[in-house]
Amino acid sequence: MTLLSRSITVIGGLLLAHACYSAREHSALQSLRTATTATLTSSPAAAASLPVDIKLETVISTFIILLGLVLGTRPLRPIEWRVWAGKIEREGEEGFTDNAGAVDKDFMGNPFNVLESRPNFVDIRKQRKEFADWVQKGDAQKKH
Amino acid sequence: MPSEKELQISPIVQESVVHNSRTLYNLQTLAASLFGVSAGILGLESYSGFVFYLVFSLLTTVLFYALRVAPASLASGKPALDTSRYFRGSYEFWAGGLMNGLAGFILTWTLFYGLVRA
Repeated sequence: MTLLSRSITVIGGLLLAHACYSAREHSALQSLRTATTATLTSSPAAAASLPVDIKLETVISTFIILLGLVLGTRPLRPIEWRVWAGKIEREGEEGFTDNAGAVDKDFMGNPFNVLESRPNFVDIRKQRKEFADWVQKGDAQKKH
Repeated sequence: MPSEKELQISPIVQESVVHNSRTLYNLQTLAASLFGVSAGILGLESYSGFVFYLVFSLLTTVLFYALRVAPASLASGKPALDTSRYFRGSYEFWAGGLMNGLAGFILTWTLFYGLVRA
């Protein structure tokens, strides 16, 4: 994604630079022509407006750069708490990456992390039983 | 603007609001300087330059809506052109950028006008 947006922006920038140079050359030529014709004849100076192809190139290149810039913006985040928390719950860090795929620096993780592990609610007897079962099973497998 | 009661029922994540508005602001200031460059190349003067800026700023916002806001917003069942998934006010989204970039626009507009027609 970031490569795509950057290449679109660079292409548009090249086009815009070319249009700028063309407009510069056109105005220089125009001023030269009026200077020479003014000394030779008294004909009115040609209209100093740009040729239509330079205008078109400028507008189109502006649009292309704009497209690249918009594609290069960082992904937005939902502002409603329930939508945002649901997104964190479903996608984790992957939902909060920039265009290059790196996790945002200000991603602060699940706001309900403190609820995920509560030692007071650990069923220690159940865990001991599970462990004992596991040991017995290992013993049984060893005897076979 | 939502009322106090609505805010209590569905709270807002302040970090996300800041992140989204900063993203939009960065895009608008950058794009406004770009529009100044092309307005200078085109040699626009007075009102036509400001109309150019107005049109392209609105185009920026529409493109931003279409590429960044719309995919997730429409998928979550919001109506079209509704930005309430990512932004607090629709006015802030659609028209707030006009003032953000105006200074940068005029700066590059005059600079490139002078450069091209020196």
